[in-house]
Amino acid sequence: MTVAAPRFPRLSRRARGWTRGWNRLGAQARFYATTVRSIGDAFVHYKFEVLRLIAQMGLGTGALAVIGGTVVIVGFLTVTIGGLVAVIGYNQFADIGVEALTGFASAYFNVRLAAPLTAGVALAATIGAGSTAQLGAMRINEEIDALEVMGIRSIAYLASTRMVAGVIVVVPLYCVAVLSAFFAAKVSTTAIYGQSAGVYDHYFNTFLNRTDLVWSFLLAVSMAIVIMLVHTYYGFTASGGPAGVGEAVGRAVRTSLVASAVLIVFISLAIYGQSGSFNLSG
Amino acid sequence: MTTMGAVIKPAAAVGSFFAMVLETIAALPRRPFAAREVVLQSWFVARVSLLPTAMLAMPYTVLVVYTFNILLLEFGAADFAGTTAAYGTVTQVGPIVTVLVVAGAGATAMCADLGARTIREELDALRVMGINPIQTLVVPRVLAATIVAILLSAMVILVGLIGGFFFTVYVQHVTPGAYAAGMTVLTQLPDVVLALIKAALFGFSAGLIACYKGITVNGGPAGVGNAVNETVVYTFVALFAINIVATAVGARVSL
Repeated sequence: MTVAAPRFPRLSRRARGWTRGWNRLGAQARFYATTVRSIGDAFVHYKFEVLRLIAQMGLGTGALAVIGGTVVIVGFLTVTIGGLVAVIGYNQFADIGVEALTGFASAYFNVRLAAPLTAGVALAATIGAGSTAQLGAMRINEEIDALEVMGIRSIAYLASTRMVAGVIVVVPLYCVAVLSAFFAAKVSTTAIYGQSAGVYDHYFNTFLNRTDLVWSFLLAVSMAIVIMLVHTYYGFTASGGPAGVGEAVGRAVRTSLVASAVLIVFISLAIYGQSGSFNLSG
Repeated sequence: MTTMGAVIKPAAAVGSFFAMVLETIAALPRRPFAAREVVLQSWFVARVSLLPTAMLAMPYTVLVVYTFNILLLEFGAADFAGTTAAYGTVTQVGPIVTVLVVAGAGATAMCADLGARTIREELDALRVMGINPIQTLVVPRVLAATIVAILLSAMVILVGLIGGFFFTVYVQHVTPGAYAAGMTVLTQLPDVVLALIKAALFGFSAGLIACYKGITVNGGPAGVGNAVNETVVYTFVALFAINIVATAVGARVSL
């Protein structure tokens, strides 16, 4: 039997590549739409699964138990960033003799920049990558196919429940993140650089903007949604044996880091605009 | 008994990690040097991290430049936008994005690759043949991660400065000349050198953690996934810690 070669082999190969990429994009979009649509199912039918996942994500089990759960990791990352804001802020302000304003740097940069970015990174690394690893292993062991054979809606049961749990878990996690960033900035300014706590607190409280905090919190929630969607997709569609699961985790981390960074930029530009909502120069 | 186990297990893991680090450093100058593997691995790490680097450097710089510019406009000093863009990019965004890419893209790919080899018992086969896997596999990977991290940090800084230029000039209407002139006011050679040293440290430690997690994988498909997950978490934690220490030391040295 002979198979007729295509008229333009290189062109048709290129075209097939483009089509495959385009189809993958469509499949991904459909997975996200199904996941979001099945949230109701997850709440009605799989309440206990959601509760179990919340407990697992919040406190961390298995792999991450060695150095404490998600809370510890998120707290640690934001503590280092809060400390960094204090180190840079203090040294730069000290150059022009206004190191008293370090409290302002903490209230402004931690809320708008440092805490959301770091929390996004920490979420992707902990609960996101964890979900990809779990779902990928399930896919490789054909457990997801088994679920479907049993008549369980696999996307609702595995992906939607994880998204709901991720969004619920991010609420206390983000509070921990912001508080530990503030705490670290204050401790390193007052204890290490020896500024008086009263000066620090005065400028911190003067420039801490309550509405900014609320926006920053909404930013974290929307980031959690995107991160959980990306990570469940890559876990759900993992293929290629043990190595495939590892690659899927890596690819998911890359994609969700980029997606959450782009998301933060656009949301920040949209909500803060050109105004700082404070009056420094009177 | 279980509490004893819970205490000893992490301690033993830390101990065996440092044992591997010492063995790697001891194997660094030893012959035969796997030069070909270094080149191949550098290309591998560079290939997986190039696109994420460019994609991450842009939004981060735009965000930093934008947040700083609000402050500068408040002072009436928008002409110094170039100064803050250069300072923020070279001292902070450069190292942080390098951390994210090296840990999130390079280290994960490296760990997945080594982990799959461990699962297929390729490392045991090497040992049977009398070849030290540390020397043939770990040393070139750690070197490759270090080299690529330095190159990536240079690229992040470049992408950041160019992105900051377009954002400041076309969105916030600062004159291009003022932006270019302001760049070298605060940021000078010591800052750039410090940024490159930081990047080398990040690459070195991320490579070590990824290789350690890769060669100690066990437990089938779930094991490789978990190892990659742990690699991400541990490298982020380690690199953020290195970053704050290096910044604090650098602030003392370069001022």
